[in-house]
Amino acid sequence: MKTKADFPNINDRQPEGLKDDGNPFRVLIIDDSMFVTKQINQILTSEGFEIVGSANNGESGVEKYKELYPNIDLVTMDITMPKMDGVECLEKIIEFDKDAKVIMISALGKQDLVKKSLLIGAKNYIVKPLDRNKVLERVVTTLKKQ
Amino acid sequence: MRVEYINPFVEAAFSILKEVLGDDLSRGELYLKATSQPILGVTAIVGLAGDVEGRVLIDLTEKTAMKIASAMNGEEMTTLNELAKATITELANMITAQAVTKLSELGFTFDLTPPTIITGEKMEITNYEVEALIVPIETSHGKLEINVALRERN
Ligand SMILES: [Mg+2]
Repeated sequence: MKTKADFPNINDRQPEGLKDDGNPFRVLIIDDSMFVTKQINQILTSEGFEIVGSANNGESGVEKYKELYPNIDLVTMDITMPKMDGVECLEKIIEFDKDAKVIMISALGKQDLVKKSLLIGAKNYIVKPLDRNKVLERVVTTLKKQ
Repeated sequence: MRVEYINPFVEAAFSILKEVLGDDLSRGELYLKATSQPILGVTAIVGLAGDVEGRVLIDLTEKTAMKIASAMNGEEMTTLNELAKATITELANMITAQAVTKLSELGFTFDLTPPTIITGEKMEITNYEVEALIVPIETSHGKLEINVALRERN
């Protein structure tokens, strides 16, 4: 179990990435960009989240989700990816686990696909460019949604 | 080529660069090039197909590409490795996606290809039947050129 002492840069508050029992929230990153994956990884691990896997296309994203289930709390999902895009990947994950918490990560200009994703069951979305506050705010809000 | 087509790309580049670099930027003079032109060394290419067709280049020197990638990753990069290329690809992706949003508000609809990165010295690009408009943007990490060659499909 991790405690506040493991995150000395975070002064008097509980890191956002830890559950009430002290265990980290477990996150899967599905994105074909090495840059975006690293960015999300850095932001989340600095707050105590645990990145339990990553996938660079929708097909392996679905596989990874099924492998990790039920020990998975959140997915960040890119939209444009090879083999299977993020919308189809989301559809397959929701089909398998209707309570999956998926956040779409989108560049501006993909509003139609974001709307479609929210209808399919994505819980939230973030528009790039990503920054620490934006990502943490959306992730925390999403984890609180039932 | 109509100048209206390039403005959304320049505006998008300004807003994205400002956001990811937190930088002071300045816009250089627009210029026009027909036929062949040298490219700077690291070039992201995005193709457009629809009401308007053609391609957009985001063109920079290797040195500038590494400096921008270093800034965006918060770590020093001294070679143009996979992560640096992925970073420039993502930059091009964000700029073109935002520009397309503006163009579609003007009533144009079309699809984009994902960005492709080409690197190398002494390369040239040649356009037939459409000239390229170029707007240089100065950042604190060096110059970046937005190079657009588009035409309306008839
Ligand atoms: Mg992608």
